[in-house]
Amino acid sequence: MIIHILNGFVYGGLLYLVAIGLVLIFGIRQVVNFAHGSLFMLGAYVGYAATAIAGFWAGVVAATLVLAILGLLLDRAVFRPLQDQDPIVTLLVTFGLLLVIEDLVRTVWGKDTLTIAMPDLLSGTLRIAGEDFPVYRLFVILVAAGMGAGLTLWLKRSRIGLYVRAFASDPLTTGTQGVDTERVSAAVVALGAGFAGLAGIIAGPLLALSPAMGGSILIESFIVVVVGGFGSFSGAFVAALVIGQLQNLGIVFIPSFSTMIPFLLMMLILLWRPLGLTGRAA
Amino acid sequence: MGWTMRLGGALAAAMMLPVAAMAQEPLRIGVPTALTGTYADLGSQVKRAIAFAAAEANAAGGIDGHKVEVEYLDTEAKPDLARRQAEKLALQGNKVLIGAIASGEALAIAPLLARWDALYIATTNKSDKITAEACVPRMFRVNRPDSSDAATMAPWLKGRSEETWAVMAADIAWGRDVAASFGKAAAAQGKKVVLENFSALGTNDFATYIQKIKDSGAKGVWVALAGRDAVNFAMQAKQAGLLDSATVAGVSFVTDNTVASIGDAAKGVAGIINYSSTLDNPANKAFVAAWEKAYPGTTPTNFEGETYIAMQVLFQAVKAAGSVKAADIAKALPGRTYATILGDQQMRREDNQLVGPNFFGVVEVFDGKLRPVVKMSVPAETATVAPSPACKIAG
Repeated sequence: MIIHILNGFVYGGLLYLVAIGLVLIFGIRQVVNFAHGSLFMLGAYVGYAATAIAGFWAGVVAATLVLAILGLLLDRAVFRPLQDQDPIVTLLVTFGLLLVIEDLVRTVWGKDTLTIAMPDLLSGTLRIAGEDFPVYRLFVILVAAGMGAGLTLWLKRSRIGLYVRAFASDPLTTGTQGVDTERVSAAVVALGAGFAGLAGIIAGPLLALSPAMGGSILIESFIVVVVGGFGSFSGAFVAALVIGQLQNLGIVFIPSFSTMIPFLLMMLILLWRPLGLTGRAA
Repeated sequence: MGWTMRLGGALAAAMMLPVAAMAQEPLRIGVPTALTGTYADLGSQVKRAIAFAAAEANAAGGIDGHKVEVEYLDTEAKPDLARRQAEKLALQGNKVLIGAIASGEALAIAPLLARWDALYIATTNKSDKITAEACVPRMFRVNRPDSSDAATMAPWLKGRSEETWAVMAADIAWGRDVAASFGKAAAAQGKKVVLENFSALGTNDFATYIQKIKDSGAKGVWVALAGRDAVNFAMQAKQAGLLDSATVAGVSFVTDNTVASIGDAAKGVAGIINYSSTLDNPANKAFVAAWEKAYPGTTPTNFEGETYIAMQVLFQAVKAAGSVKAADIAKALPGRTYATILGDQQMRREDNQLVGPNFFGVVEVFDGKLRPVVKMSVPAETATVAPSPACKIAG
């Protein structure tokens, strides 16, 4: 059972890394970013290319940085110009972006599934509860937990974190207080996209790379965001862990219904607390 | 007399016109296949083989002068979408349909073929239903069905010492079929299936399924996963030590592309091989040589080989029918014997199933490259089991 719970944390951790980017971008730009799954996928492919040249750790840095820069560009070229438009326009544009990024990846890397080799340092197994458990999976849990803690500290302790929280709850007042909200927004979108890139390369040694790999994780990440409460950083963390566990334990105890569990949970949460576990009315 | 001769000549010429025009009519093929999604990798192999066969035929002046034209539409391997895309292709005039990936797609297309005046040739769809209770006169299959894979797996299983087995299959018609036929074969050999795992199409993390297999104590695992699912499972099974602690074998699991994706981890994995570029016969050697020329640095994969066989059968049926109309081709297809890269194979009248051999093999280095290599051949008469009485299209 301990192994099943650890596996739940692994998938929950990956979901958290993707979902937190969605939360950051929604919190600041009020954009439901349909292209986020393709940013995760692009991160994996950029990481694959960099890993092939300079090794896995260079891949981690490259995927995170390249996607963060892409996030800056997206904010400048898409989210900022469209911020006064009907939200449905932005949503459609992000859906278009998803298709463009998928086609781009298909053109550059093809449709065949690719894999990223695990770094030697993390390729062994550890004996836990009498079972061999891959060290890399523990690494994924640590990365997700580390990123969660780092983000929380950054938001609570740093000046820019203060601006982000203020902007997320009242952009107008924050702007009138002299905060350069455009720069804050750009930084946050870059951070969200960077998280997607990091999740992509971290997932690389576990999941086969294909242009469609962002699709299913995006749906599950949206469920995390809805369950946690749109725009809630702590809610996303709790929801990702809960969904990761429920999905895994579902496979163990009620395999026929396991794929339905996240959707059922979302329905129940929406009925019980329409703003999510930690969501608050504006 | 002169004018009547001229009029007669003109009339004769006018009557000949449709015949001449028909001779120029292209053979229009519609390919509703998975170009995106979990099975995109398989769809791209189907597409590559069809494009290769069409180019080869056109370079030789077409099929009896008919140029081969191909249209592709994406089905994402979803039955509903496959039905809509197949209908779109058929209504656009591409009435010879071929190459959907999942069995559910073929089963969704089949009931509507007569209405569309189309025909469908399965090249990767394995569910037995296609040539049993769901069979229709306009649907044909060239690839090996689940029952053939079971008949090929049974003698291998008999020789194995593992007494307890787990099944890891995709939760679709094909995966359920494979689990059922493996269960029967195992029971017949006095072996026990201690666990059946069915994963949703597009599953990312197989860790929990793998742990359940380890917890079950199964000494062997029979896998029915394809495309990205197969690669995900193989990678994660290797990382969790399952590939080293249990015998892992399967169907559609030991494919060229899966092996290319997972690399050394695939070494020693056994399984059904429906087609291999390493097969030693003159027709296959010529095909592989032409393929390597068209796509340098690659050899045809199992799905590419099977799809190429479909094109070989189709082209010969067009010649026999003397027509590119779906109704005429559908009439000409059954009962004939076709020269293919797996030798001569007959399209059985009783269920529209091409009767051909099947193979079992293991992943090992061949010509300096890791690939599935055939170790056991099962002849056509054994590999293709008797037609199901549930199919009543003959006569």
